[in-house]
Amino acid sequence: MARLILMFNNQVVKEYPLKKESITIGRNEDNTITVDNLAVSGYHARIDAAGKDYILTDLQSTNGTFVNDKKVISHKLLHGDNVIVGKHRLLFVGDGQKAEVKTASAGKIDMDKTMMLDTAKQKELLAKQSGVAAKAAAAAAQSIGVVSFIEGADLGEIELTKKLTKIGKANTSEIRLSGLFMPSTAATISRRPSGYVITSMGGKLKVNGEVIKDSIQLNEFDTIEIGKVKFQFYQKKAAK
Amino acid sequence: MFIKSAGITDVGLKRDGNEDSFSVDDSLGLYIVADGMGGHLAGEVASRISVDVISKSFRKWIEEDAGEDEIYGGADKALSKEGNYILGGIRLANKVVYELALEQKEYQGMGTTVVVLLVTPSMTIAANVGDSRIYLVRDGELERLSKDHTIVAEQVELGMMTEEEALTSSMKHILTRNLGSSEYVEPEVFEIEPSNDDCFILCSDGLTDLVNNDEILEMVQNADDPENLCRDFIRTVLGRGAHDNTTVVSVFLSSLKKQKQGMLMKTGCLVSDIIIGVQKTGKKVIPFK
Repeated sequence: MARLILMFNNQVVKEYPLKKESITIGRNEDNTITVDNLAVSGYHARIDAAGKDYILTDLQSTNGTFVNDKKVISHKLLHGDNVIVGKHRLLFVGDGQKAEVKTASAGKIDMDKTMMLDTAKQKELLAKQSGVAAKAAAAAAQSIGVVSFIEGADLGEIELTKKLTKIGKANTSEIRLSGLFMPSTAATISRRPSGYVITSMGGKLKVNGEVIKDSIQLNEFDTIEIGKVKFQFYQKKAAK
Repeated sequence: MFIKSAGITDVGLKRDGNEDSFSVDDSLGLYIVADGMGGHLAGEVASRISVDVISKSFRKWIEEDAGEDEIYGGADKALSKEGNYILGGIRLANKVVYELALEQKEYQGMGTTVVVLLVTPSMTIAANVGDSRIYLVRDGELERLSKDHTIVAEQVELGMMTEEEALTSSMKHILTRNLGSSEYVEPEVFEIEPSNDDCFILCSDGLTDLVNNDEILEMVQNADDPENLCRDFIRTVLGRGAHDNTTVVSVFLSSLKKQKQGMLMKTGCLVSDIIIGVQKTGKKVIPFK
């Protein structure tokens, strides 16, 4: 079914499926689509079904009806047309069609379809949310994992600057550990969408005293043991 | 290391055209899915170009053993060499799509998501822009290796919305990053250790809109073969209305290394690193029947 998406300030207000043969748009409450704004006339415009098509007619409104920024008296609606009444925008979505969104033009929105949000709109939307929470999360995103050595190796603190940190005897390890029974790669720590994860690669790995055979998520101040080497994990704010 | 892989794309039941593109390359261990947007074929152009640019640039840089200073947009020190090739390739693809959209009227407003997976015996790399996804199934668990660039995902991360609210939000398809709509884009890149019998799923949101994580996990665990798995996914999506194009690429790893530990096995590991067994499956679009 064809539909109209009512928008104000590039944000979707409501969606109206075109169920009836004829609908009206205006400020008065008995319109099919009521737009409560002084820039809109009492009975501003009408849309009539004509076969498969829909015809938009301006009802001699004070401020006019515009389609894609052109003033119209009557107009056959095409999929993707932007109808402007006052300061409101009505996006016409044809039967069985999906709205296409151009980031350049303000808000043609179909919630079923993936679309790109431009930065200005994003900022506007995000500004509405709590600024404090946003900052906290932004800070968290910029934090970096650190391992602090407690026993068995004199390495002090090492920042996990790589996405994948290899720990072991091999020269290519980001964290090199020595010892007779130390494998070339004993364990790895990777930064994943879920956070930092440590994975046993053949070394004797314990996290908080528990033997880990595969992978485990690292939490703040977890104690990690690889053979006789013991260190702690925590996160701190990244330098940049 | 043995790789079995397959990829299928399906237009679905509601859309006129398929704007998704994908690439499956077992010789490089490189897998890409892109979900284009923009309508009137422009989305298809954006996704196809992105897949081509990323795979071709990756192959070129691998063959030339390109250095850090050759990484398009500058190397990221947190990443491996291969990770940087993927990073540079995605940035380059963005630039190409962006400029084409500026130059040609019919391509105005086009864009695409992209997910890239590279599997090697020593490292697995997952990169993405937008809301297409990469899943890893390992030891009976499903882990997402991509980060959605949507308003909703960002709000979940900020703690403003719960995961449950996000699933039903009307804004879940609004992207905050894609390829083609701005001059620069920063992809998400993750590098993880590989493990024996890892299974990966790369997909467009046509799949994840209609099939939840538990179902994906169950279907992967019950699958014997990547191609059958892809077909199962498409069948499920079509059975649920398939309102969007759906693309699924699945990659199964095996015999990564003979044995992880043991001093005597070390040389054995090296040999198995060098002998990379490759089994090729569908590289082209397999029409769904």
